[in-house]
Order: sequence, then structure tokens, then C-alpha cells
Amino acid sequence: MGLKLCLSSTLKFSPISILRPISQSTKNPLRRSLLLVRALSADAAAGTTTIAPDTTPDDFRVAKAPQWKAAIDFKWIRENKEAVAANVKNRNSNANIDLVVELYDKLMNVQKEVEGLRAERNVVANRMKGKLEPSERQKLVEEGKNLKERLVTLEEDLLNLTDELQQEAQCVPNMTHPDVPVGGEDCSSIRKMVGKASEFSFSVKDHVQLGKDLNIFDFDAAAEVSGSKFYYLKNEAVMLEMGLINWAVSEVMKRGFTPLITPEIVRSSVVEKCGFQPRGTNTQVYSIEGSDQCLIGTAEIPVGGIHMDSIIPESSLPLKYVAFSHCFRTEAGAAGAATRGLYRVHQFSKVEMFILCRPEESNSFHEELIEIEEELFSSLGLHFKTIDMATQDLGAPAYRKFDVEAWMPGLGRYGEISSASNCTDYQSRRLGIRYRPESSIPPKKGKGSSTPTRFVHTLNATACAVPRMIICLLENYQQEDGSVVIPEPLRRFMGGLEIITPKIQIRC
Amino acid sequence: MGLKLCLSSTLKFSPISILRPISQSTKNPLRRSLLLVRALSADAAAGTTTIAPDTTPDDFRVAKAPQWKAAIDFKWIRENKEAVAANVKNRNSNANIDLVVELYDKLMNVQKEVEGLRAERNVVANRMKGKLEPSERQKLVEEGKNLKERLVTLEEDLLNLTDELQQEAQCVPNMTHPDVPVGGEDCSSIRKMVGKASEFSFSVKDHVQLGKDLNIFDFDAAAEVSGSKFYYLKNEAVMLEMGLINWAVSEVMKRGFTPLITPEIVRSSVVEKCGFQPRGTNTQVYSIEGSDQCLIGTAEIPVGGIHMDSIIPESSLPLKYVAFSHCFRTEAGAAGAATRGLYRVHQFSKVEMFILCRPEESNSFHEELIEIEEELFSSLGLHFKYASDFISSGFKFSFDVLTIVFPIHFPLAGLMTSSNFHRTIDMATQDLGAPAYRKFDVEAWMPGLGRYGEISSASNCTDYQSRRLGIRYRPESSIPPKKGKGSSTPTRFVHTLNATACAVPRMIICLLENYQQEDGSVVIPEPLRRFMGGLEIITPKIQIRC
Repeated sequence: MGLKLCLSSTLKFSPISILRPISQSTKNPLRRSLLLVRALSADAAAGTTTIAPDTTPDDFRVAKAPQWKAAIDFKWIRENKEAVAANVKNRNSNANIDLVVELYDKLMNVQKEVEGLRAERNVVANRMKGKLEPSERQKLVEEGKNLKERLVTLEEDLLNLTDELQQEAQCVPNMTHPDVPVGGEDCSSIRKMVGKASEFSFSVKDHVQLGKDLNIFDFDAAAEVSGSKFYYLKNEAVMLEMGLINWAVSEVMKRGFTPLITPEIVRSSVVEKCGFQPRGTNTQVYSIEGSDQCLIGTAEIPVGGIHMDSIIPESSLPLKYVAFSHCFRTEAGAAGAATRGLYRVHQFSKVEMFILCRPEESNSFHEELIEIEEELFSSLGLHFKTIDMATQDLGAPAYRKFDVEAWMPGLGRYGEISSASNCTDYQSRRLGIRYRPESSIPPKKGKGSSTPTRFVHTLNATACAVPRMIICLLENYQQEDGSVVIPEPLRRFMGGLEIITPKIQIRC
Repeated sequence: MGLKLCLSSTLKFSPISILRPISQSTKNPLRRSLLLVRALSADAAAGTTTIAPDTTPDDFRVAKAPQWKAAIDFKWIRENKEAVAANVKNRNSNANIDLVVELYDKLMNVQKEVEGLRAERNVVANRMKGKLEPSERQKLVEEGKNLKERLVTLEEDLLNLTDELQQEAQCVPNMTHPDVPVGGEDCSSIRKMVGKASEFSFSVKDHVQLGKDLNIFDFDAAAEVSGSKFYYLKNEAVMLEMGLINWAVSEVMKRGFTPLITPEIVRSSVVEKCGFQPRGTNTQVYSIEGSDQCLIGTAEIPVGGIHMDSIIPESSLPLKYVAFSHCFRTEAGAAGAATRGLYRVHQFSKVEMFILCRPEESNSFHEELIEIEEELFSSLGLHFKYASDFISSGFKFSFDVLTIVFPIHFPLAGLMTSSNFHRTIDMATQDLGAPAYRKFDVEAWMPGLGRYGEISSASNCTDYQSRRLGIRYRPESSIPPKKGKGSSTPTRFVHTLNATACAVPRMIICLLENYQQEDGSVVIPEPLRRFMGGLEIITPKIQIRC
């Protein structure tokens, strides 16, 4: 078994890449490894899965090439190679622009070659239509066969190159708004400071202690039933969550947004198209066993998907949505004090805003979204700052991102309670969301609307991430007697409740 | 590869049982198959997974013995074997009571034998403490060794038997309330009728058409983004869902229930302990990849789990909870017309009631729960009168008979031109899930679908779940505890009950179909309006763009 073991462990532990020839496609590593395995004899192949019974086909998914294609503007990348490379550097991204451009050039050359061969083949085919000497015909047949063989090879190269180019180019982050500060977290600039930190004449508790004393959370039971970082909300915390959701949805609806309740299980491809990684060891995404579906980490995903692969009439833009959903995150790799209590949890309720608009409007809608957030949090009397996040703190889809960090007196620090991102055409190029501009010139008769389509811009922003808001409210509005005052705007969404007092201990 | 193929396909397709000796433990089939495989030589073994690359360790889980033990009262089962067997038959269950009793008797015998051997070994050990002739000592050493070997074997048998007994006994359904009609669905009896079927002077639409015309659902986008049987709620449907949840939670809170919002991802073991099957080909449960967790199909699971493995002071009972959660179901095997629109979907919001109480109170709390449901559904803007006087227990119903026998007419309030019509059913034995001692379903008339649809159910699970979840209470003894002894009353298992307060999509179907107007608008029943910002009517003209 010596050799077999060795081979099988190679198959298991080595990155796929070392096994593949330089120009090899990464299209279907599973199929390729099966082929490889077949070449090595059935016994050796068999060793693979027996020795490593926990290696399921899933392990290969990480390296699998995309099942869908993003409409990435490769030509634009080549023409703006220096700016794109600088942006990649500023954002601390792993994208390889040289490789993208190289693959694109290769692809263009192969494409030209393929077109040339096809033309040649057509010439040959046409020549064969006439009357010919048998020897002449034989020569043409040979020539045609030859051309066909070369074409088959080249067409396969074309497919492989297309896949490789997709894979590399999908790593390229969005460009960045010129006003975004370049650098790491320290470089982020404060956009606005609202209110000031509450002063307390008594020693403050954090939300975990407050929740315990008020009997409104249960982390212990949740740890048994579900695992750590899960929780039950109980008594007034239930009313608080429901009140916050109702308040946020109705406040945002007032501003002309269409309310949605979304699916929380979606196809993995939609998660990818929104710029998230549903697979891999450090993924934040819960996957459903035995399917290609996963749980959403934010309503941005199902709302982004609602107009997937469609062309929206320009007159319908902007489309403004406010979506309520539960969100699920593995929080792989998260640890430490920041994870205490409700701060970082596996499941939470969130009200999310989402806009689809014309490209020229996305910057002003980004302003509108952050202003809505500022209004919402101000109306609850919170002290917070709005931050223009630096380049290295931007996820790949964001062109610019504003975060809101609120003061949490119990935790003794600012904590993120929301963020607003302009993703420009990063998501729409993946999701295939276009619009057809209404041409100023009336369409020529009989031609219909022939204006070319353009990609919409997408923006997303948190209206209310419930657990973070509960932390803020409990810690900021705690009283010396341990009770917590409900801010006025929420009361009518909580059956008029004005205060949560420790004495309303509903039994057990 | 001929033989290898044959062996591997045996491993793949045959039930595990044919491979195991009669008294073989079913404890770890995966490990056992690996052992078996090793005995057959590595090459043959290797064939297994290569030929069947889709056979993952998961496929074995179905047959895996429980990772936890239910505190099943085997002695009681043996003492009431005939009643238990009759119950199993009435409920059309696969449980094998003969086997359970046989395994239990075997277990008792082995246990006795083990105890005997242990005693013998102690005797030998004691005798070795004194001064002894070397030959005598050698004899005792031999004897001790012999005893130890026999003990090791027997103790393993004991473990295996315990596991087998658990597995078999876990299939035994709960006993059944004596009033429950015996038989299949047809035998279920009507407990109560409320209202009368709506009459319409125009041709009614079903909720799918209404939702489309009102622009409040999107099934097409959801099919692309998530799959079939998913949906987006939009515009007024969002307000309707939020309104229904708020209304249901606050109505039930008023009645003394503690509100909860629960985790929706739970350990598979908790799902099992509540009496659901998280694994297997026809499971309704979504599992999380690479973990032992799954999505809840109902808040009953996390609420049942909240007091898992604990002893509740009797003074805290009853514990009444009303929990809001999203629910996720694979709906494997569901197909046909009943699945149209919102009727059978993979994800939905639900408000669920759950009670933990003393055993002697569970029947009356079951009544309370079904009465709350009846109140809630009746209160959605309807004048109604209980029709219970008309109902004879055990009455066999059909729709035609009902409409003729109970032509109860009630005037309607305000704008409403239709009345809500629902009936409560005492479900027959074959329609009860394993945990239920008795189950009442509420079925409402859905004029668009042209039939009754289940909108809620209320089950008394007695101690079925609490014996699995380990939820006990300590009765306060009437005799004061002897000094220095503390409270020494033995603990008992609580009874658990669960009941739907509001399954949102089914309620949306009912409301849209029953309150549709000729112009295509839908009137919101009065009690919901204050939870929907005062909205009174959903009209087709409020078409928010796109």
C-alpha cells in the first residue's frame, strides 16, 4: 500500500494546483482528479477515499471554478491597468492584475486564431462544393480534418482561458471613491459626530448584566440547545426586538422604500454574485447539507437577487427596498471580548435598506442612506460617529462604505451598529441587473428601443441590526435602580411600554 | 474487481442488519463497517467508496444508535404490554413491543448476571487478602481472571442491549387519550364549528391570484434566488405578516404567557428529543453542513429545549411560553395542488404556544390552548357562536354533511361581506405523531382554494418529550421534610403541550381569500388594524412601482 497511500495523501492534502499542467483548466477539479485517478489504475484510485473517509466531494468546491459568469469589463481593466493595480494595492487585495491582463490578451489571441481557422475551414468547405479531381478532393478533406483538429484544441483552450480569466478577474475588488482615505483602519476618517457620551452618576452595567437582572436574555439555555453565541430573547426583550423592527421598517417606508420579507435560504451562487464567499474554511456562511443552498448573512443577498438577470425599465429606477430578515453567520475566527453577549452572535434580526439606481445617482443615494441612518439613530438619542472607512477596510464589492459606531457605555467603547455601502456595478455585473436608458432621441420607426443596456448601481445600508441596537439601548438608558427607559419613538411600537424594570420578573 | 464490486454494493445497498450477528450492537455502524472492511483486505474495502462516491458517512447516521438516552419507563411498558401493543396498532406505528419487552427482559437478566459476577469477584478479592498457600493463591488468581473476563464480555453485552433497547423503545409512540377516535383521517371527529362558509356574489380568486393583483408576493424571483416553494412578501403583505405576529404575541401574552424569540439553529439531538427525525431520506429537517446542527421546523423545539436537563420547582409550574420564530421545512415528498402558493412553503413565520405543567393538569391546559386558538381565529372580526352543542363526539364528517347540518348564519360587521369559517378536529389515532397523546387541529375554510386547510394544531405530549429532554419537577411534599434531609420527594417528569397561535402564511391565505371584495381589494379584520398602522384595506391600485 506504500505507493497508494502516498498518492492518496497527495490527492488529499496538496493544493490542486501543483498537480495541474500550466495551462490546465480549473473548471472541474473533481472530474479532473477522477480522470487522474483512472490513469493511475483503479486500486490506487480506490485508496483515496478509503484512507480519507471524511473527504467528500464538498472539499473540492473551494477550488471549483465559477458556475456562473460575471460580466466583468476586461477591456476596461486592461486600458486602466495602472489605476486598477494601484487600487488593488490600496485595498490590500490578493488580486493579480498582471495575470488578469495576460490571460485576457491570451484569450483575445486565441479567439483571433479560432476565428481565422473557422474562416479557413469555411473556405475549404466552399471549395469542396464544386467539381474536383479526386486527388484534389482528398487533399481538401485532409486539410479540413487538420483544421478541425486544430480548432477543437483551440476551442478547448478558449474555454479554459475564459474560466481562468473569470476566476482571476472575480478577485479584483471594486474601484474606490476618490475621497476614501487610503490605508488601514487607523486611516478611516470621521464624517460626523452626533450627541455625546451619556454620563452616569452610578457604576454602569453592561448589557449582559442588565439582561440578566431584567430576566430578558437566556444565553445558557441557548448554549445547551444550539451552541455558544446563540440566545433566547425573553419578556421585554421580545417586545424590544419586535418594536425595533416595526419602528425601523415603518420609518424607512415613510421615506418611500418598498417593504420586503425575504427568503433566508438562497442558492450559493447568489451569495457569490453578491460578493460573499459561501465556501472555504473561514466562510461566514452556513451551508445546507446535501444542497447548493445556504443561509443568508444579510438581506442584501436576497434583495440583490430579486432582480437578478433582468432588465429594468429606466422609469422604474431608483428601486428602494427595506427588507426584514433573520441573518445567520458562522462567525468563524471571531473571538475575544468583542464577542461578549449580544455583540457577535450567530443569528439576529436585521432591517436592511437596498437601492438599485442609475450609475450617475449612486453617490447621492449613498448620502441619502447614511443620512437616513443618522436620522434614525439620532431620533433614539444615541451618541455615535459616522466613519468613512479606509481602503483596507472595504470588502471587495464596496466602492465606498460609511460605518456608524455608537457609544456603548457598559462595554466602554464604540461599537459598529450599521454600515452603508455603495457597490456601484460590482454586484449588478455579477447578478446581471441592467436597465435600458430611455434615449433622448425617439427610436426610429420599426426599430423599437435600441439603446444599449447598462448595469445599475446597487447600494445597501443597515436600518436596524437588532442585537446591536438592544446593546445600545440597554447600556445607554440604564437607570441607577437597574431599570431601562425606552426611548420615546419606540414606545408606540411596544404597546406603550416606557420602562423595563427588574421587578417585573415573570416567574422562572 | 468482480468480487470487490459485489461486496461494495452489498455494503452500500443492503440494510446494515443483515450483516450483523443476532446479538450484535447497533451502536456504531460506521465503525463496524470499517472493521468489517478491514477484515476483507484493504483493496476490497477501498472499492466501497470509490464505486459509490456519493456515499458519505452521513448515510450511516440514520442507523446510528442515539447519542442520548430517553428515560423511558420500560418496566411500565412490560407491565402494560397489551395496552401498549394495542396503542401501537391503533396508531399504525412500526414499534415492536415484543422486541422491546424481550430486550428489556434480556437486559434485566444480564444485569443480574453481572451483579452476581461482581459479587463473586468481591468474594475472591476478599479471600485473597488473607494469608494463603501459593497454590491456593494461584487458584484464586485464575478464578479472578476468569471472572473478570466473563464480566468484560457481559458488560459489553449490557451496553449493547441498553443501546438496542433504547433504539427500539424510542420508536414507541406516546399513549393515547381515551377520547381520541381510533382509525385513520376519516375517523377524526369534529370538536367545534365556528362561523359559516363565506358567500360571494362574485367569482372568487385564490390567494395566489389576489397576491399577484395586489403586488404583495413574489414567487418567481424567489424560485430563481432560492428555489421553488420560497417567496418574498412585499408591500402590504409585509405589514400583514408583522401585524399578525404582533397581534398573536400580544394576544397570547395577555393570557399570561412569557414571550420568547428563539434560536433557529439547534443541535440535532434536541430535534430528536422533541420527537422529530432530523436525518433520513424523507426528513423535514434542513441540516447544517459540517456540523451537528439543523434548522428548526417549529419553535416547539427550542422552547422544549429551554429547560432541558433540569428540575423545575413545582411552584414555577405551569410555565407558559409564546415564542416567535421562523420555521424551515424541506417538505420532502410534498407535491400536488395542496402546495400551491403560500400553503406549503420552505420558510415561514410562526407564533407558537408551549406549556410545561404538572401531569394532572395537562388535559385541562390542552383545553385552554385550543380555546385560545378558537378565540384568536374567531376574533378576527367575526360574530360567532360556539357550535359545540351541535357536535357529537365521534361524528364522522364530510363537507357536504356539515354545510347541511350546521347552516349557522351570523351577521357581519362593517365592510365585511364574508365570514371566517373554521372547525376544530380531534385527530384520529393514525393522524397523531409519535409525541402526541391527543391533538386538536383547526381547519379554516379557504374559499379561493375551495377547501378547508389546516391553520393550527394543539398537542398534548404528556411526558413523551420531557422523558427525552430530561425535564422534571420536584413535587412539594405535603409532609414537611424531615430535618437535615432537605426536600427528598422524588422528581417527576413534567408534561409538555404545544399549539400554534399563528402560522403566518396560512393566516394570510385565509385573510386574503375570505376578505376579498369584488373590486379585488382585501379588507383587514379590525383587530389587526392597530398592528398595521391603521391599515383597513389593501387595494390593487396601490401598485408601488416595479
